[in-house]
Amino acid sequence: MNGKSCCGDIETAGDKMTGFHEIEERLKSEAFRLLQAGEVSVVLAYGKGTDERHPVPFAALTTADVENIVFNEHCTHNMARYLLRYPSGTKIAVALKGVDSRAVVVLIQEGKINRDNLVILGIPTNSMRNQQNGQIIDARTTCGIANPVLFDILLGEEVHEATVASPYDVLAPYEAMDEDARWNFWKTELDRCIRCYACRKACPMCYCDPCFIDVTKPRWANKSPQLAGNLMYHLTRFQHLAGRCVDCGECSRVCPVAIPLYLFHKKVAKDCEEMFQQTAGMRIEDKPVIVDFRVEDSDKILE
Amino acid sequence: MIEERLVLKKTAIEKINELAAALMEMGTLIAPVQEAVGANFKTIENPQEVSLDFYNTVLSPKFVFFPQTENFLSYQIAKPFTNAEPVELAITPVFLFGVRPCDTRSFAILDRHFEASSIVDPYWRKRRENATIFGYAFALDTPPDNADFYSMLGIHAADTEGSDIFMVRNDGELLLKSITSKGEQLLSELTLLQETSSDDENYYTEYLARGREYKTRTLCLEQETAAGKFEEIFYNNDFWGKTASACLSCGICTFVCPTCYCFDICDETMFKKGTRRRVWDSCMFTDFTLEASGHNPRTNVFQRLRQKVCHKYSYSPRKYDVISCVGCGRCVRSCPVNIDIYSIVSSALKI
Repeated sequence: MNGKSCCGDIETAGDKMTGFHEIEERLKSEAFRLLQAGEVSVVLAYGKGTDERHPVPFAALTTADVENIVFNEHCTHNMARYLLRYPSGTKIAVALKGVDSRAVVVLIQEGKINRDNLVILGIPTNSMRNQQNGQIIDARTTCGIANPVLFDILLGEEVHEATVASPYDVLAPYEAMDEDARWNFWKTELDRCIRCYACRKACPMCYCDPCFIDVTKPRWANKSPQLAGNLMYHLTRFQHLAGRCVDCGECSRVCPVAIPLYLFHKKVAKDCEEMFQQTAGMRIEDKPVIVDFRVEDSDKILE
Repeated sequence: MIEERLVLKKTAIEKINELAAALMEMGTLIAPVQEAVGANFKTIENPQEVSLDFYNTVLSPKFVFFPQTENFLSYQIAKPFTNAEPVELAITPVFLFGVRPCDTRSFAILDRHFEASSIVDPYWRKRRENATIFGYAFALDTPPDNADFYSMLGIHAADTEGSDIFMVRNDGELLLKSITSKGEQLLSELTLLQETSSDDENYYTEYLARGREYKTRTLCLEQETAAGKFEEIFYNNDFWGKTASACLSCGICTFVCPTCYCFDICDETMFKKGTRRRVWDSCMFTDFTLEASGHNPRTNVFQRLRQKVCHKYSYSPRKYDVISCVGCGRCVRSCPVNIDIYSIVSSALKI
């Protein structure tokens, strides 16, 4: 982890790493091979959308579907989100970028998916772009990890350029705030929420059915998008993701009113690292922090 | 029929803040301001905030007439009786400034829903009556956004329908033409506006004509054909399954949509004091169709997406004789996974 700014380096790093076109070709050929051999019944990747800037998460079910697969810098969606839609036992191949693979690690740890039913097509890249604002997605809004931590087939050269600052550097100005200022900051941000629930729906870790916010007996929060209910929804969701959020940043990218949800998740992840020396979804053999009690665990959380 | 009125005035673009200030003197001004996510309609507190340099707003202006939260009555739970009082609608004249033609059309579509039957929604009606709408033509010298498809719905880039006053930009100037008598009266009251010449008249007329030729992506769509087609393919689970395979079932598309009007009525109580409210709901939410028994007739994502598309392109034409979509492209732009309703309609028509 170094603290230097990363933006300048990223533009040139693109030349050294495997290009998007090559990744797309390899994605297609692996998808074709796996579907033809019957090794999987679905390949989760990206397909053509309205235009090049708007690819769509895509499920290829037959070899004929493969030609619709694309991969470019706008394929930012976390495909781990779709794994739980398929009946358990379904053999699935899934295209995962660095951070996406961390989500799959957590899903495996939590017993939601079986590693044996997955073929992970890993995509090493650090040049994805936010579709809304065109900016490079890096450690300021995500964990910034370029290489998948878990994969069966790697679709390109691993990225080794030190382009990534600490994912927690971005927290500095918020950590410097006093309690009142922080409270006011979050009140202002969460007051804007229109409760479309895109954040939880895009989140690979939000798989509860029903989500607490949809429960009517009891009703945990008001339905109207006003501060009290908004706080109840977001603060509860933040807690539910403690030690589980992999900092993919999808919740913030999908937000129609640009609430920087990633800041809260990053802060909780940082606390989790400091207190329990564990980063979510980095090692498949880890137990989830929330369920793993160790005598030597920090008691700081109780203070 | 709306009679075309003759008053044409103008102002310099750099002076729209003065126009904004004048409107704020007369009532509430709701106009586009630049926010972190893009432009959005806001109640203006500082006339300097008003900006006409936008393509279209992220959220639609429907909230001006159909707010996300509408309070019906307030109550205090007590013994032996709970006291309840209706919440009076505090209405001031509203000036809704800078509305694109696709959005002015959306108000007419929602009118049919809120007023078409013998039951008129008084909240909607009162708000509509108290508003003066300043329509604002799209810029014709730049291409439309790839997401837009209002041409398919028969809406022009400089369509005056639904506006009281229609605004067209001419370099550094803004031309304002009255469309209704309400607009005509307002324009005559706004003394800070300048008189126009015959050149301005010609520019305005020509702009409207060019607006008719300007096209977003489009295809030939007959209302009757669309309505029939979606009835025919309702049970085509293969089509709907594929169409919805990426859908996350969040509510963005319905919340940004200018014609979605579904709501829920909730009693929201805190410490025995509460409010009965109407709050936007979304057919994309899992609990939208959840019945008291626990049964949910729409358990799959594809059933919910199908409902949304069929409502707009089939049920609405059958019930209100209008497709309840204006092709503004907001749902396409806002969708986290880039689901495109235009593509859904065009694929459906090919089946």
